[in-house]
This record gives sequence, structure tokens and C-alpha cells, in this order.
Amino acid sequence: MIICPNCQHENVEGAVYCVECGAQIDGVETLVTKAITDQEIEEELKKKAPRPEADSVPANSWLSLHLMDNGKILPLASRNEFTLGRLSEGQPIMPDIDLTPFQAYASGVSRLHAVVKRDGNRVVVMDLGSSNGTYLNGRRLNPHLEEELGHGDIVALGKLKIQILLRDI
Amino acid sequence: MPAYQQDYYALLGVPRDASPEEIKRAYIEAAQKLHPDKNKAAGETEIFLGVQQAYETLSNPSRRAQYDATLPPEVNTSLPYRHRIVQSRTSIGRLNEPQMHYLILELEPPADSQKTSSPPLNVSLIIDRSTSMLGQKMDVVKATAIQVLRSLRPQDILSVVAFSDRAEVVIPAAYNQERSKLEPRIQAIQPSGATEIFQGLEAGVKEVMRSIDAKRVNHIILLTDGHTYGDEQQCLSLATKLAEQGIGVSGMGIGSEWNDIFLDALSTRTGGNSAHISDPQDIKRILLEKFNALTQTFAEDVTLEVRPVDGVEISYVFRLQPDPAPIPSVDGKYHLGAILQDTSTRAIFEYIIQPKAVKSETLTFMDGTLKVSMGTQPLPVPPLRMRLSSSVSDTPPTGSPPLEIHQALSRLTLYRMQERARKEIERGNFDTATRQLQMLADNLIAQGERSLAHTIAFEVDSLKRQRSLSEEGSKKMKYGTRSLFLASPKKELVQ
Repeated sequence: MIICPNCQHENVEGAVYCVECGAQIDGVETLVTKAITDQEIEEELKKKAPRPEADSVPANSWLSLHLMDNGKILPLASRNEFTLGRLSEGQPIMPDIDLTPFQAYASGVSRLHAVVKRDGNRVVVMDLGSSNGTYLNGRRLNPHLEEELGHGDIVALGKLKIQILLRDI
Repeated sequence: MPAYQQDYYALLGVPRDASPEEIKRAYIEAAQKLHPDKNKAAGETEIFLGVQQAYETLSNPSRRAQYDATLPPEVNTSLPYRHRIVQSRTSIGRLNEPQMHYLILELEPPADSQKTSSPPLNVSLIIDRSTSMLGQKMDVVKATAIQVLRSLRPQDILSVVAFSDRAEVVIPAAYNQERSKLEPRIQAIQPSGATEIFQGLEAGVKEVMRSIDAKRVNHIILLTDGHTYGDEQQCLSLATKLAEQGIGVSGMGIGSEWNDIFLDALSTRTGGNSAHISDPQDIKRILLEKFNALTQTFAEDVTLEVRPVDGVEISYVFRLQPDPAPIPSVDGKYHLGAILQDTSTRAIFEYIIQPKAVKSETLTFMDGTLKVSMGTQPLPVPPLRMRLSSSVSDTPPTGSPPLEIHQALSRLTLYRMQERARKEIERGNFDTATRQLQMLADNLIAQGERSLAHTIAFEVDSLKRQRSLSEEGSKKMKYGTRSLFLASPKKELVQ
């Protein structure tokens, strides 16, 4: 059995593409249940003990978006305001961050969905009147009202969950 | 003595190691076709007598052994076509769960073959003349039919049938007609009445049967723009009989008010294909392309007959080219259509292998016979045994399958996503279908297929609001995802 990393659908062994969402899955490791001894765990921990900071993060990045569905981290820098959404044909205003590669359409992300801003020492999020709403830690936000963000908060654009990683400013 | 009488095996079209059952079946099939009460062409009665003699000899074990001793060793085993097989994995894993295995079968004319003259045609064009065809559709169909008539070679036979709730033969199948005199008959077709496809199909079949000949490309082209009511089963069982006779059916639906699932089922069981003509302007191009393909026929009626293997199931068969379409199994037979002079025929097979099939060291997952009919060959083409085995290993090879299979599957996955979604709609699972179509649209955007993605996004809305797809949109989805197979990969392009 191969579990699709994108949609969690259980595909028959030997499948090359997920029948449910079309994602390529032939590179995905087969799930095999294996007993792990305590010793192995300790050795594994030792190997990976000093976890270095991701080296590609620019020095002046004040905010990173952790896309929880696939574990990708997008560091943001150089500006104080970013609009989030997805690109689509014939659209006059483009979002600063295009979330199309992260299944934005399927998750119900609007073309201009929300904005994150740095305002002095605070970082805020504001919904831009999106169709499916913006949620902060599971609570739906009123559109066009700023809400303060803390480190580790989870913002959901429709169903697309993003964890906010703040850097001390 | 004619050449074919020298080899009883060639005469019956069976390999030399054929089992008694295979010989019996080949005899019955040949007898049905060649019996003096039924055969059409001159000389077939003589062939039938030869077939009878062959069967009398080969059906008796001692006489067969005697005859085998007199046979010269099999020298001419080379087939008049080339075949190639690619498998997704080099060996099959010994797993405690079901697993999938893919293979691509490719058939093409031999590399050194000079462009041999293609067999003459025996085609019946069946035209829907129901009231809804009135106007531009009918005008373009008539003009195209006349153009086809003019462009045919002298040896070709074309019959034309028009039908509504009854059928009439506009041009009967006959040799050496003075074609310019037939044009006014096509001009005179007037639209009126309802659509009853069986009426038209039956009349067209009669015309094709008049001059049916293994040396010709026997084909039926059905042009319709409407739903037929109540006679679908009749049509399908007629098509199954046509497939046995080596007559292909191609269905062309004009506009959006026709039943694509029915037309697909009708054509693919004969090895033909269905096409969606959304704009009447395209009738001419698509019909001329079809005739052009028919005159390019190298071999036809490619049929793979498989015997069931315990624990192994062929779960899906899809012809990748020419004319991408899923191929249904009709009594264990897959009609793959024709091999063209300039395009190879490729089909992908999906297997599901159960744990009980991988107990021993090797697994014969395919046990079949490939039959091909070639009008230009005097003798029946010997059938090709397709017995494919794979070693079974405890550690299945990891990594990706060959690029060819990968590319085919990347598109097939998209086609099957819309197929799955339509099934879910039939079952009433609208939320599941909506989600699946949305994911299909996402995938198409990622591959740069924006207009198709747009169509599907529109259908997603329709599904949410009305709990159904639009007639036009569901056809665009189906034939749009099929046409992806014909395009070169777009993924690599920088947008």
C-alpha cells in the first residue's frame, strides 16, 4: 500500500500516480512496519542532534510561513506587507505570495485572500473578503479587521493551513 | 495446389502448438465466416473445403501426429509486423497485499516495409438526419460526404445510409459506380424525424456485409447528434457481432446532446473510436481525418484474447495511440483496432496481482493470443502467443518505472480522475465528485492546460449548484483529457 503524501489516499502497491489526486507517488517509500529498539532511537537522535538553522533563510526575514500540508517553509523578507492568494488567468491584481503550488485551488483559497503585515513590533493578519474565510487557530476572522499574530499561530486560508513562524524583530 | 493448402495450421490461423480446443474454436470461427451459405467472395468455398480438411486432420490426435511428421520445420516464423513490450518493473515482489503491474504493448509495421499499398475500403457512412441536424450541421455533413466520395480511390467502396426513426440507403455498396451521378442523392437528404440509431446501424451493416471481404478495410462510421432511446442494447449486441466479423465502428457525436458513454461502448468494443465534434465547422476536418486514417491501414482488427490467470486481473486497458480510448473486455477479448502505416498502435494494460499469485518463483501474468488481420497478406497472419512471465522476488525493485510508462500514466491518471468523478456522480456522491474534479483542475493548471482546467472549474460550479454536469462540459472533460495523449508533454515549458 502506498499512502499518497498529498491527499492521504491509500493506493495499491505499484501505483505510479495517486488515483485520487493525481500526485506522483512512485518515489514514495512503501510503508513497512518495523520494530525499532531504544538503542537505534538514541543513535538516530545523536546523529541529528545539532539541527542547523535552514541556511537559505535570508538574514532580514521577519516571518516564515510553514505550509503544514507538505512541510514547506517560505521565508519572507524585504517588505513589510505580503498579500496571500493564488494566481489565475485574467486577474488584474496579483497576490505577492502565490499559493497555487500548494493545492490552493482545492483548499478554497481566494485569489486575494489575506494579507500579513508588520506594524511596529506587531505582526497582524487581515482577511481580504475571501470566499471561504480566514481562520486564526480555528476561529473565523471578520473580514477587513486586523488580528495580531503570535509565533506558532495557525492561520487557515479556507482549508490551507499555514503556521506562522516569527523571528524576533 | 494453392499455397494455403500446404499448411493446415496457417489455414486455420493457429500456432503449431495449438491445443485441441483452440483448433476446434478456430474451425468454428472459420466455418461461420466461410460456409458456402454465407461466404461472399469468389474462391471462399474452396478455402472452406481446405479448412474442413485441415480440421479433420488436426482434430484427430493420431492423424495430427502423422501430419506433423510430414511438416517441414517451421521456417517462416517471422511476423509481418513488429511488436514490443515494456513492463513497469523487472520483477514482481512477493507481497502480502495486492499490487499493480503495468505493461505497454506496441505494434507497428516492420521498419523495412516499403509503403505497401493499403487495402481497399469497404465503408458505410451512416448519417443521422433527425430534425435536430437541420441547418449548418446537415450542410457540412453533406458537403463532406460528397468530398469523401470524390476523393476515394476507384477500388474503394462507399455506401451512405441516412436514418431518423427509419433508415434509407442513399448510396448502396457497389463496385465501379459512376460517382458523380451519386452526388445529387447525398444533396437530397432532408432532415426530419427522431433519432433511432439501431435503424441506421442495421441498414449500414447490411451494406457493409454485401461486399465484406477480408482483403478490405471493413468499417462503419456513424454520425449522430442525438440520444437514441431504448435500442442501446440492440446496438451493442450488434456491435459485438461486428467485432467478431472484423468490422470496426467509429462514432462521431456532433454538439452536446448525445450519449457519449453509449457511443464509446459501441465503438470501442469493435476497436473503433468515438469523437466529440463540438463545433459543426469541425465535422469536415474530423471526418476527412477518419477516412485518411482508414486508407492508411496497415493491419486491422488487432485482437488480444487473454485466458484468465488465477490471482491476476487485468483491471484497465487503454489505447494510447492512435485514437486514445479505454478498451473494454468483450468475453476476454480486447479489440485494439488497426495498425496504421505511419503510427504505431500502443496500449497500456494495468494488472492487479493478488498475494496468492506470487507464491512461486515466476508468475505468468499474461497468457494470451494476439491476432491481426492483414488484407494485403494472402495467408492468415499466424497468431502470436503472448505468454509473459516475470520473476518473483522477495525484494521488489524500487524506483520509477520506465519513462514511457511514466508518461503514459501521468496522462491516464488525469483521464481516469474524470472517469471516477463521473462514476461518483452516478452513485450520487456529489461531494466526492466535486473534490475529485477540483483536484483534476489543479493538476491541469499545473501542466499548463488552462482552458481544459477552466472548463472543469466551471463544471465544479455546476455540480455544486445543480448536482449534475452540463452535457457539453462532461464531453469536453472526457475528450479533452483523451486528447492530452496526443499532445507533446507541456510540463517542461516555462510559463
